[in-house]
Amino acid sequence: MSLFSWLRPAGPALSSEQQQRLANLPAIPELSECSLREQRWVVLDLETTGLNLNKDRVLSIGAVVIEDGAIDFSQQFERTLQCRELKLSPSVLLHGLGPSAIAAGSEPAEALLDFMEFVGDSPVLAFHAPFDQHMLGRALKEHLGYKLQQVFLDVADIAPLVCPQAHIREAGLDDWIDWFRLEVFERHNASADALATAELALILFSKARGQQIHSPLNLQQRLSQWKRRQQAPSF
Amino acid sequence: MSKADAFIQAGKTAVLQNIQGTLQFLQRFPPFNQMEHAHLAYLVEQCQLRFYGQGESIIKPADGPVEHFYIVKQGRVVGERPHTAKGGTETTFEITTGECFPLAALLGERATRTEHLAGEDTFCLQLNKLAFIKLFALSGTFRDFALRGVSSLLDQVNQQVQQKAVETLGTQYSLNTRLGELAMRHPVTCSPATPLREAVKLMHEQQVGSIVAVDEHKAPLGIFTLRDLRHVVAEGVGDFSEPLERHMTHSPFYLSPDHSAFDAAIAMTERHIAHVCLVKDQRLCGVVSERDLFSLQRVDLVHLARTIRSAQRVEQLVNLRGEIGQLVERMLAHGASSTQITHIITLLNDHTVCRVIELTLAEKGDPGVPFSWLCFGSEGRREQTLHTDQDNGILFDARDAAHAAEIRGKLLPIAQQINHSLALCGFTLCKGNIMAGNPQLCLSRAEWARRFAAFIREATPENLLGSSIYFDLRVVWGDEQSCEQLRRGILDQVGDNRLFQRMMAENALRNRPPVGRFREFVLARKNGEKATLDLKTQGLTPFVDGARLLALANGIDANNTLERFRQLVDKEVIERLDGAAYEEAYHFIQQTRMQQHQIQTRENLPYSNRVDPDSLNHLDRRILRESLRQAQRLQSSLTLRYQL
Repeated sequence: MSLFSWLRPAGPALSSEQQQRLANLPAIPELSECSLREQRWVVLDLETTGLNLNKDRVLSIGAVVIEDGAIDFSQQFERTLQCRELKLSPSVLLHGLGPSAIAAGSEPAEALLDFMEFVGDSPVLAFHAPFDQHMLGRALKEHLGYKLQQVFLDVADIAPLVCPQAHIREAGLDDWIDWFRLEVFERHNASADALATAELALILFSKARGQQIHSPLNLQQRLSQWKRRQQAPSF
Repeated sequence: MSKADAFIQAGKTAVLQNIQGTLQFLQRFPPFNQMEHAHLAYLVEQCQLRFYGQGESIIKPADGPVEHFYIVKQGRVVGERPHTAKGGTETTFEITTGECFPLAALLGERATRTEHLAGEDTFCLQLNKLAFIKLFALSGTFRDFALRGVSSLLDQVNQQVQQKAVETLGTQYSLNTRLGELAMRHPVTCSPATPLREAVKLMHEQQVGSIVAVDEHKAPLGIFTLRDLRHVVAEGVGDFSEPLERHMTHSPFYLSPDHSAFDAAIAMTERHIAHVCLVKDQRLCGVVSERDLFSLQRVDLVHLARTIRSAQRVEQLVNLRGEIGQLVERMLAHGASSTQITHIITLLNDHTVCRVIELTLAEKGDPGVPFSWLCFGSEGRREQTLHTDQDNGILFDARDAAHAAEIRGKLLPIAQQINHSLALCGFTLCKGNIMAGNPQLCLSRAEWARRFAAFIREATPENLLGSSIYFDLRVVWGDEQSCEQLRRGILDQVGDNRLFQRMMAENALRNRPPVGRFREFVLARKNGEKATLDLKTQGLTPFVDGARLLALANGIDANNTLERFRQLVDKEVIERLDGAAYEEAYHFIQQTRMQQHQIQTRENLPYSNRVDPDSLNHLDRRILRESLRQAQRLQSSLTLRYQL
């Protein structure tokens, strides 16, 4: 517990309605044997105050949905979280993150609840997924007292798995976008990064099918094999 | 904008980022760039983005009725149809970024006839049929595009044409002038509470057509114009002591003084208003009226025509030719279509020819024999451009062969003089000597009739070529009755002669439009020169020949190609949709050709109908390709009709 916790209004004080919504969130199943196309995926990107896993906070959430094998433009999520510590200043405008409180008026608890309802029981894709998973998990715990259970798959791992010929070391999202000559729109925020990641994911799924990876479960297994191979010392 | 407002604004755009990005992408391409923002946003929100790896099938005939509308976001989609003759498949079309498919199948609620495959890794935006239908109902632009395809983009091309013409005209004539420079006078203003009577009195005293109601900071609140006054009077309100604000147009449309006259003209045309307020820093600083704009336009067609008709010497007419060129340029700038322009050129050319004949007769003395001056070919069809050959002849009445020879002897010297003077005026002498000064083209009605009958009876290649020139005959000067009789004779004979029609149809297939299978033009490369296509013979001629054949075969006496198409539609010889498509295609090719001529004139190049498609912009190239396809369609319909 933080030494200063007593300064804040006590804990995640949720309204009864919020508690009800929290209770209604679905249980998270294991990844299934259905086809990649049948699976609904949520592609996530977080904007944070920094890269420190323990100190920095989530500023905004951008997500798009891959359903029926396509990015569905009618299902998009973008919220900027209210953040008391963050001063509203013109420099914030550059990141497109300032207008939070006024525009979206998103109380973090409310925004996170909205997001969890948006995700439902779908698995989550993200580029460098462990980071997003950790940051989102912390935010959920802090604001909702809720444990993140969704399965996260890392697009940064899927890409070299299905595309071994690429030979890009430590490739970032931009490297893969270049590799596939993806024409993405200007990216200034979480939502646009999520869309770019989703487009990348569509290409990767298509490649995965070519390599006999047909189901989400299959993909998860192949990913962990691949990761073990990567980590195994090579003699 | 306050800081808080800026944040709100930024917040809103941020929320819509992905929709916004896709919107901006689509706005680079027609017809999406013409659609209302709300409609486009609806489209995007309903879309799915789908990926197809190279070679993957997107839709195929076996899928049944098409359920989606697709827009290529990235990549290339190719159409493959089974090859009937050779077996295997052939690529019938390619669709690239910003283009969409399969409209015909979607509208016809049927399966596609062609398999659509990803030619390379491709992303498509996919809209479901319900949303497509809704959008079709919502957006006129979209509907228009869906129904008319690429031809609906022509309006946009016309705007480009205007824009380009404006750029080259210089400020003297152009609508490029800053509005601030145009609105010289101080605007007449009053408060909104001013009684109507007083406001009108002010307008009257200042001799203006509008008065603007402003607040204490000079911000415009409303405008009252003579047109509004007409309303007030017509409605019989009668109480002119009422405050102006009860009758004015509130929150009037405004532009900044830095906008151009062109912007104002567009706004006026779009909004059906005759006055535009000029506002700077929220203060009214002027009013521009329709009349202010038109005084810029020193084009006066009527004046030019009158000057031609009253010219006292041929040299004067020679000088006036230059003005016709400028007129054409200005007409383009003011948005005239190629049809309007060819008509106007024909009109002015007719005036010039008439005046040359009158001057020649005055100089050489009246031969004392009535005659008609005929023209053939493009002049006969009223489709002249600035650069035109002489194709003319003389028609007179004679009792018999001896009488005809006698009259010919009198008329020939005059005709030769006229040909010569016309050449001075810029009508190039005809290389094939199709000119009235040629004894073979200075004929009596009986002689002409015999000649034309021979064309129809003996369909030799020369005769067919002759018929394609002479059968578009028209009287420019003199009595028209004899010519009418000749024309009736032609129509009767061609209508009865299926064999001749068939030969004409074959003839109409000589000039093949240069479109190949792979989206590209099939281009002639001459002695290592750059590959080009001939807009006249490869683009216009197929339409002209096709229209002539169908008109002559169906008793239509119009000469003009577009008029022929219209009458063919009325007579139900061709489908209305086809007629409209041919008309637009013809129109566009003609427009492109005229622009080329204008550029050549400006750059002092010899005039040519050849164009390098690479010199056209993306939109023009695409539409030219589609236009040439229409020519192809017309030709294949002739093949079918005459079983060639």
